[in-house]
Amino acid sequence: MVPLSLTKSGEKVVVRSICGTGHLAKTLGQLGIIIGIELTIIQKAKESVIVRIGESRYALGAGAASMVLVEPL
Amino acid sequence: MKEIHILLAGNPNVGKTTLFNSLCGVHQHTGNYPGVTVEIKTGKRQMNDHSIIVSDLPGTYSLSAFTPDEQVARDALLTSGPDAVVQIIDATNIERNLFLTTQLMEIGLPMIIALNMCDLAEEQGITIDADCLEKNLKIPVVRIVARKGEGIEELIKTIIQVSTHKTPAVHRAIEYPHSVTSHISEIGNYLSAHASLLGSLSPYYAAIRLMEGDEHLEKMLHEKGLTIPFIDTSDSAERDGIAEDILLARYKTSEEITTCSVKCTMGRVMPGDLIDQVLTHRLFGIPIFLSCMWFAFQLTFSASNPFLVGIEYIFGYFTDRMNGVDMDPFVRSFLSDGVIGGVGSVLVFVPSIFVLFLLLSILEDTGYLARAAFVMDRLMHSVGLHGRSFIPFLIGFGCNVPAIMATRTLQSRADRIITIITIPFMSCTARLPVYVLFAGVFFGAAAGNVIFFLYVLGIAVAILSALIFRRLVFRDEPSPFIMELPPYRKPSGFAAAVHMWFKGREYLKRAGLIIFGGVIVVWVLATLPAGVEYGSADSLAGIIGQVFQPVFAPLGFNWQLVVGLIFGFIAKEVVVGSLGTLYGGEEMLESSLAADPTLHPVIALAYMVFVLLYLPCVAALGVIRQEMSNWKWTGIAIGWGILVAYVFAFIILHVGSLVIGA
Repeated sequence: MVPLSLTKSGEKVVVRSICGTGHLAKTLGQLGIIIGIELTIIQKAKESVIVRIGESRYALGAGAASMVLVEPL
Repeated sequence: MKEIHILLAGNPNVGKTTLFNSLCGVHQHTGNYPGVTVEIKTGKRQMNDHSIIVSDLPGTYSLSAFTPDEQVARDALLTSGPDAVVQIIDATNIERNLFLTTQLMEIGLPMIIALNMCDLAEEQGITIDADCLEKNLKIPVVRIVARKGEGIEELIKTIIQVSTHKTPAVHRAIEYPHSVTSHISEIGNYLSAHASLLGSLSPYYAAIRLMEGDEHLEKMLHEKGLTIPFIDTSDSAERDGIAEDILLARYKTSEEITTCSVKCTMGRVMPGDLIDQVLTHRLFGIPIFLSCMWFAFQLTFSASNPFLVGIEYIFGYFTDRMNGVDMDPFVRSFLSDGVIGGVGSVLVFVPSIFVLFLLLSILEDTGYLARAAFVMDRLMHSVGLHGRSFIPFLIGFGCNVPAIMATRTLQSRADRIITIITIPFMSCTARLPVYVLFAGVFFGAAAGNVIFFLYVLGIAVAILSALIFRRLVFRDEPSPFIMELPPYRKPSGFAAAVHMWFKGREYLKRAGLIIFGGVIVVWVLATLPAGVEYGSADSLAGIIGQVFQPVFAPLGFNWQLVVGLIFGFIAKEVVVGSLGTLYGGEEMLESSLAADPTLHPVIALAYMVFVLLYLPCVAALGVIRQEMSNWKWTGIAIGWGILVAYVFAFIILHVGSLVIGA
């Protein structure tokens, strides 16, 4: 398991855990970034990422990206 | 005539505003929503015997109300008692949008789903079985293409039908696991005994909201002295677990509904991925963004040029005609000095403003702005700002008022306060007339560079202020950046033009009322007391200017400039308008300024810098007060601006004087 901030562009990963609670974790949940969901890494700029879930794309800054723990598919 | 109140809800970027415009056309206005002083657009549509009043809610992903704009949507849905809710759904991304549907249906209001962008969905090979969707949700579904106005009639008919239906709305229920349902009945049963506190909320719905973490509702019930079962008796890990179960149940429902009603006939292509990889590239992202901005500003000024020439020609024509007419000198002075001199010098900037708004809305419609926010996030983060603050900043170059309102999408209060304090340093279009005038008169061929310098200085001061407030006052990190990147779309010329018209019309109204009013006041002050030479040191304006002039003496400003600053508070364009009045009319203004022995280029630069940084205009100040929701931070924002303006103007005057040896 690695944080999303350490993945590579083009990788497909699956979310295994969301660290932390509170508004940020809830916001991630409302956007559909939940345990078990598959993400495609579209872009990686330093520790910020753009991910795609189905038809939706989300940008996550370094702080948010480090909260999402994923496993490569 | 029966009135029907409907609320328009939906995720961001699904075409809500476009639908609103095609529903209500130009019969819309912004009004204050009762309870919160936040604006919701409302409009009206007549059909047969019904008058439909549409309120456009801010776009939201959920009703959790973490940000001020979500709170507005939540409050309108839960407390305003609408006759029906129309949720607009992006047909190309149904599953994602259904998450909000699962929250909306539980409120228990009559609903209609407007399935937007059906044409795009078809192009992408998505077939949607609307009947199946309708049966599964127990909500009528209407296919529309808001951009082309297709399906709008049908939608209105459905709205009337649904909202005049007498039986209460029953939608599909979400299948929660037993862990959740047992708590729903426990909390719901308890709340049933206190139903009067809940207003129009049903006790069981309130129970779900409490478990999902509606802090507002929880606080309200605690204030009434209630001890809520489960909520107040369990630890946070247990509560988070239940909140997660609810979330997953919502996703499961959305997925089930999508699976049975949406079929994809072709392999989906994702052309957006490649564009994203280029536009948000680690190295190219920022240069691409800067070139976009450079083009936008270049285009703003060159595209508006022909209109400028036209407007100046018309004013010149009126001045000439007036000279040939015999009239009272007092009336003549009012018309030529007050109306043409003051308003005319401001009106010439209207075309640039329209073009700037047009370009900004095109950039927004294509989806690029969200990418730009991502590209800028790291930079913004390093100076203590949130990546999302970037969009308000960009809007701020057009007008600070909508920019300050746009900070509502920020979650953390510290992020909002810092952004609001720094937005006024973004040089809005109202300040441009001042630069054009002074840079043109005192810097000749270098005028363009001087204006560019001012924009950059504004940004630099904003960064400096953000650093200072983040490091010294808030001492925390900006909250993490999470943002949806909307799909790339071809901008619709029509939609952009409508958008430009509404924004530009606001500006014109201001030019017509506030600026005109301000200029008239200056003209009156420059004329009175009777008998004095117009605009001289003996006039009221002269006296006022001279009273305050000593304050600005260290900055080298003469009393005319001081009068300009005082009235510039009404709107920054009035600086030019009042100088136009005081220096003998629009046509004379440039030559009189150049000939004034008390002025030289360094003072002119210090003055432009002061105008850039000092007070925001009255309108912006009102919005700052509204969004800060207290006077303390409003006062700090004002005081900070004046302090920074004074210090910078002082430094520029003295360093500049040393450099040129004056």
